[in-house]
Amino acid sequence: MFLEIIDVIISGLLNGSVYALMAIGLALVYGVTKAFNFAYGSFYTMGGYFAWVFLVPLNLPGGYYTVFLTAIPFLFVVGFFLEKFLVAPLRKRSDWQMKAMMLTLGLALFLDIGYIAVFGPRLKSLPDIVEGTLALGPLVFMKQDVVIFILSITGLLCFAWLLNNTRVGMAVQAVAQNPTGAQIVGIPKERVFAATFAISTIMVGIGGILLSQKNFVNPQASTGIMIKAWVITAFGGMGSIRGSLYAALIIGMLEAFVGYYLGMIHIDIAVLTLLLITLAFRPQGLMGRE
Amino acid sequence: MKAKSMIKILAVTYGLIGILPIFVSDSSIMMRILTMILIWSVVASCWDLIMGYAGIFSFGQVAFYVIGAYSSAILSVSLNVPPILAIFMAGTITAMIGVLIGLPCLKLAGPYIALVTFAFQLALEPFLKGPLGKAIGSGGSRGIISVPPIEIFGMSFSSSELVQFFYLAFVMTLICSAVIVVILKSHWGTAFLALKDSEDFAASLGVSAFKYKLLVFGITSFITGLFGGLYVHYVGILSTRMLSMEVFTVLLIMIVVGGIGQYPGVVLGAVITVTANELLRPMGIYRLLIMGGMVVLIVLLLPDGVTGLIRKFSFSRWTNKENRSIETH
Repeated sequence: MFLEIIDVIISGLLNGSVYALMAIGLALVYGVTKAFNFAYGSFYTMGGYFAWVFLVPLNLPGGYYTVFLTAIPFLFVVGFFLEKFLVAPLRKRSDWQMKAMMLTLGLALFLDIGYIAVFGPRLKSLPDIVEGTLALGPLVFMKQDVVIFILSITGLLCFAWLLNNTRVGMAVQAVAQNPTGAQIVGIPKERVFAATFAISTIMVGIGGILLSQKNFVNPQASTGIMIKAWVITAFGGMGSIRGSLYAALIIGMLEAFVGYYLGMIHIDIAVLTLLLITLAFRPQGLMGRE
Repeated sequence: MKAKSMIKILAVTYGLIGILPIFVSDSSIMMRILTMILIWSVVASCWDLIMGYAGIFSFGQVAFYVIGAYSSAILSVSLNVPPILAIFMAGTITAMIGVLIGLPCLKLAGPYIALVTFAFQLALEPFLKGPLGKAIGSGGSRGIISVPPIEIFGMSFSSSELVQFFYLAFVMTLICSAVIVVILKSHWGTAFLALKDSEDFAASLGVSAFKYKLLVFGITSFITGLFGGLYVHYVGILSTRMLSMEVFTVLLIMIVVGGIGQYPGVVLGAVITVTANELLRPMGIYRLLIMGGMVVLIVLLLPDGVTGLIRKFSFSRWTNKENRSIETH
């Protein structure tokens, strides 16, 4: 009984940490560019397929090292040019937010069906990042889980460092606070928008590589991940990065417990109920500023 | 757009659709396409009303449609309500759920509404498939089979009498389109636009956001639920496949093609989209790929859809003052 609860908590922590990585990417891109990205989940699947292509059919030397080293620049380029060519041209119009939502919804469908057309509808399984288990007294952990947890926390710390200590990060923060003011002091606003989009694409793509090891690469997973990331960002407060972190861990735990005790089918309903109750009492989310 | 030109375009479009069955009544495929055009054009018009005019990013339109379909099917299968009554009760149930969903949305800012309504749609599928849905008679993942057709005075309207059903749908479409035009041109429509443009300013002039936002949720979900009911008695079977992303995107394409907030552009959008969807059907999975790509391209290249295109080619009649005010807010 006690060990079962520990297992559920571990699974919640693990999912929560990867969700945090993905939701913070989304919080960042919404906070800075104000664009509502509905294709976010499709980049999660893109990360999964990227790793699969490298590890299974190509079987490149270096395993996951090669995957991470190539995935980061690849996802950056994808995100950067998508923003530049698809979202940026919409900004001229006053109702661009609605147009951006519609465009990214179309893009999501295009990518998801594209994956099925290219890779087929069957699920792909990724090899474990490390094999074996780790015994700690009566508790037994999968080494893979530990590594995924450590990697996603490392990703978060890297992101925090990037945002607070580099010129790019400071430019991003300046644009988030006041786009016009940032432009006046010479920050290239358009390039910052594209860079933010690219960084968020990297974060969700890495999340895809990490979680797909446990959940398979599934072309139909995109919508679920997208909505999960959105729920977490809204629950934590749109554009609040700290709020997203807490919200991701809470939602990860809630999912693990509801999934274990009530059945997987109730997860979505439980998460939505939590979101609705939170928004009814705190429309700005847990830590959102009003 | 002026009420006069609105009615003119609607009359021409629906007039042509209404005459067509005389020539193609032998072809069951054509009749099915025409019927679906009618149903989708009204559902898409409702979405345009709430999103394009009232400015509420409601992404729950497909969910309302499915709720209407399920309530009508459950009422007529489990409780033996006559179908013609059941579809109106379904509309009422959907309107009540729409208002319930609208209540939390009153407090929320734009993107949150999109999220809540979209998450509502995603949660509906596990609800209908799970034990809770089975308890109210949704039939779980098998869905509901053998939904009885609508009967009025001994006349039966089902998928076996396509022409009869088409004209039933036609009459309902005309009534609902007339209702939509009246709403848009009454002070309600003006209030929706005012709230969309500036909620604070509208409130200072005495336009109650509470009343009108709930009103638009209620009206659009009522009509959508009504047509969901109509649809389920026409096809006779129902499952949660209606909640797939595909249906959602096809509906979205209608608005994108027709132009958001450019009623009756969305009716033209429905005609084009349903036809294109059927023409692309032999392409299998590539159909959805093309549809997704089309959304991206149309949003980028034709921001106002076909309505914008038509307007470009006929300046004199369309670019009057009223138009410009709608276009540039």
